[in-house]
Amino acid sequence: MNEVEELRPVGETTQFIVIKLGDEQYGIDIKYIDNIVRMQHITRVPKVDEYLKGVINLRGEVIPVMSIRIKMGLEKDVETKSSRIIILKLEQQGTIGVIVDEVREVVTLENERIEKVAYDSKDEKANFLCGVGKSDGGLISLLDLNAVVLESV
Amino acid sequence: MDVSQYLEIFLDETNEHLQNLNTQILSLEQDPENMDTINEIFRAAHSLKGMAGTMGYKRMQTLTHDMENVFSEVRNGNIKVKADMIDVLFQCLDALEEYNTNIRESSDEGTNDNGALIKRLNDIMSGGSDDSAASAAQEQTPQAQKAETAAGGFERIKLNESQQSVLSEAIRQGKNVYGLTVKVQESCILKAARAFLVFKAVEETSEIIVSDPSSQDIEDEKFDLQFSLIIVSEAELNEVVAAAKGVSEIEDVSGSVLNLDDVSTGEEKEESAARAQEESAEAAPAQTAQTSAGTPTPPAEAAQTPAPANAPAAKKAPVNKPVVNRTVRVDIEKLDTLMNLVSELIIAKNSLVSASAMSGNSSQAVNEQIEYLESVTTSLHESVMKVRMVPIESTVNKFPRMVRDLQKKLGKKMELYMSGEETELDRTVVDQIGDPLMHLLRNSADHGLESAEVRKERGKPEVGSIFLDAYQDGNNVVIEVRDDGNGIDTKAVKNKAIEKGVITPEQGEAMSEKEIIDLLFNAGFSTAKVVSDVSGRGVGLDVVKSMIESLSGEVEVKSKLGEGSTWTIRLPLTLAIIQALMVEIGDEKYAIALGSIQTIEDILPSDVKLVQAKEVIQLRDLVIPLVRLNEILDIPSKKDPEENLVVVVVKKGDKLAGLVVDELIGQQEIVIKSLGKYISKCKIISGATVLGDGEVALILDANALI
Repeated sequence: MNEVEELRPVGETTQFIVIKLGDEQYGIDIKYIDNIVRMQHITRVPKVDEYLKGVINLRGEVIPVMSIRIKMGLEKDVETKSSRIIILKLEQQGTIGVIVDEVREVVTLENERIEKVAYDSKDEKANFLCGVGKSDGGLISLLDLNAVVLESV
Repeated sequence: MDVSQYLEIFLDETNEHLQNLNTQILSLEQDPENMDTINEIFRAAHSLKGMAGTMGYKRMQTLTHDMENVFSEVRNGNIKVKADMIDVLFQCLDALEEYNTNIRESSDEGTNDNGALIKRLNDIMSGGSDDSAASAAQEQTPQAQKAETAAGGFERIKLNESQQSVLSEAIRQGKNVYGLTVKVQESCILKAARAFLVFKAVEETSEIIVSDPSSQDIEDEKFDLQFSLIIVSEAELNEVVAAAKGVSEIEDVSGSVLNLDDVSTGEEKEESAARAQEESAEAAPAQTAQTSAGTPTPPAEAAQTPAPANAPAAKKAPVNKPVVNRTVRVDIEKLDTLMNLVSELIIAKNSLVSASAMSGNSSQAVNEQIEYLESVTTSLHESVMKVRMVPIESTVNKFPRMVRDLQKKLGKKMELYMSGEETELDRTVVDQIGDPLMHLLRNSADHGLESAEVRKERGKPEVGSIFLDAYQDGNNVVIEVRDDGNGIDTKAVKNKAIEKGVITPEQGEAMSEKEIIDLLFNAGFSTAKVVSDVSGRGVGLDVVKSMIESLSGEVEVKSKLGEGSTWTIRLPLTLAIIQALMVEIGDEKYAIALGSIQTIEDILPSDVKLVQAKEVIQLRDLVIPLVRLNEILDIPSKKDPEENLVVVVVKKGDKLAGLVVDELIGQQEIVIKSLGKYISKCKIISGATVLGDGEVALILDANALI
């Protein structure tokens, strides 16, 4: 997680998009986000890991979509009106969509208010986090996208 | 001068010249006397030198300069082409290629001076002039050169009647008629521009009656280093010459007053030109060839006038500079963008088709327009595809050189025969097919061909043959690598496989020859007893296979022990847009490439038989295994098991399989999109496509299902 700290110099701010998965709030660094689209038909791809939900058509491009919930060991996604697909652009994996229950808001956090999480191998969810941010709306778990997206071996 | 913007072009052209040099030097090795080849090499070396100089790559320039010197001596007949010289030249080419690579990577040529090579080149040069015959020729050189200049100068300009009458008229009016021969410096970059400035300077005082080459050719830079003018002027000769000399980068301007007597008719001129040729031919045989080859416009007949028997080269027709095609260099990325746009257009067209079908009440007029649109998009697609097609020549041309090197390295005698180099493929495929082909050729040379002694024993010609044939076959391009070597020893392969634990001895017993040969494509398999640096590192054929499959192609081997083997690579013409059959399985839609489909059959459930607990059907004497797609794809079929089965029979090589689908939707032109690296685990899906209604359908890879 040292890298993350290096990337966030003291005195500066980072913007996060706050999303909901179940009852918890998570933050995704805005610099990785390419687009947020409504839930749409996902074409299933056979013979792949369960968390890979399939592919969608985003303006003529075929983009894989994954479920953070399944990846993090939560219950399966339930599609509602507020479900969204967040399109991430990552350096290694390219463009990937992740399903979230709800997109709430954009918050700007001073880097001093971001705390590193203590590594706890027992808590599976903690493996996907890179920190906790304190905002007015409560605590936000900050997702470590590379860990979320990383293919499980 | 900032030349960075030309870097791309420089690299491209350098590559072309290097390739050309490689080919020409190879053919020179076969036919050391061929003047055409020597001239071509000289030209290529010269252009390389000029380009390197312009870009400021001094080391490259020095090396090419020395190469050029050697060729110039060869061209003049002062030294003869020898085997060791060819070797040195090839090393020079390698060194140049190294510079080129360095430049591509860091836009710097690196620091390797290649002093040793330059020294060897110089040795060749001095070794050549020690030759007594050559030195005799050299003594004559100044004289010969003089003859050459004269022959190439303004004296050779032919005049037609009207030009003559203009000249005589001018003389009657008391004006002077001069002939000028202008020589541009060798280092000059923009020859045409210099020539233009000379024209301008001369035209201030005089009227240009005729020029050689024609002014159009001069503008297009279709001249070597000199051009000639006949002018009418009231000014003094030295004034005109001084004006022309005033232009920078002009090496020399010579001029003289032209007598009307000298201004002879075309035929007379021709004769005198021929005389000049003969003189120079007698002086130094090779010079003649140079003159006739170097200056394109002078009468070709001159070379055909009875020349002394000691100048056979002079009889050859002059090599004109290659005709410049009217082409544009286009960045491949721009073509990719264009192709993507065409893909989008096809998707939009498909949407229109399905929208009009959905609305139900589509009128005749709308349908007609849609059909028209369809034909336009199809032709557009074809044209863009054609633009992207390049001959495989650029890739395979480096192979003769490689085989030559292999021959020395392996100590075997072999010959490479190529055909179908003009076969065209998509640019991206051509770029990537080089490595697999190289691998197969090395494989043939190293493992396939026997040593000369063994070949002799077996009653084969000592020199082994490797063939590389390419041809188009329907929507595919086939490239075959064939050798007349030992073939594949299936027993050795089987033992090796068992030894390596790839198969068990029992499995080995049950395997057919073909299956055993296919084992060669397994990762980490190499049967060469000695690991050579040519092949046999065990990272070979599996890489070849996966590279070819990544291009949506397939590779097959046929082999007969003792007689040789044939490797057949089959590649699709295009990768981006294909015709496909859309099928429905459960409530999902899939596409199957039309190219792999053999037939579509309607089968009674009772006709499905079991063989070794596997379902098969019998079709015209063929037993075809059935693949129930709904099971493989984990979709519940929505079809009644009592109903007839819809079976799509697909083909891979000579293997067939019957894919059971629920329903056929129809044929459609689809745009192949990659699923991306992220979903690469699914082997039976080769890609995805966007349907008319915006949904994504997956493309089934029939090859993986068989």
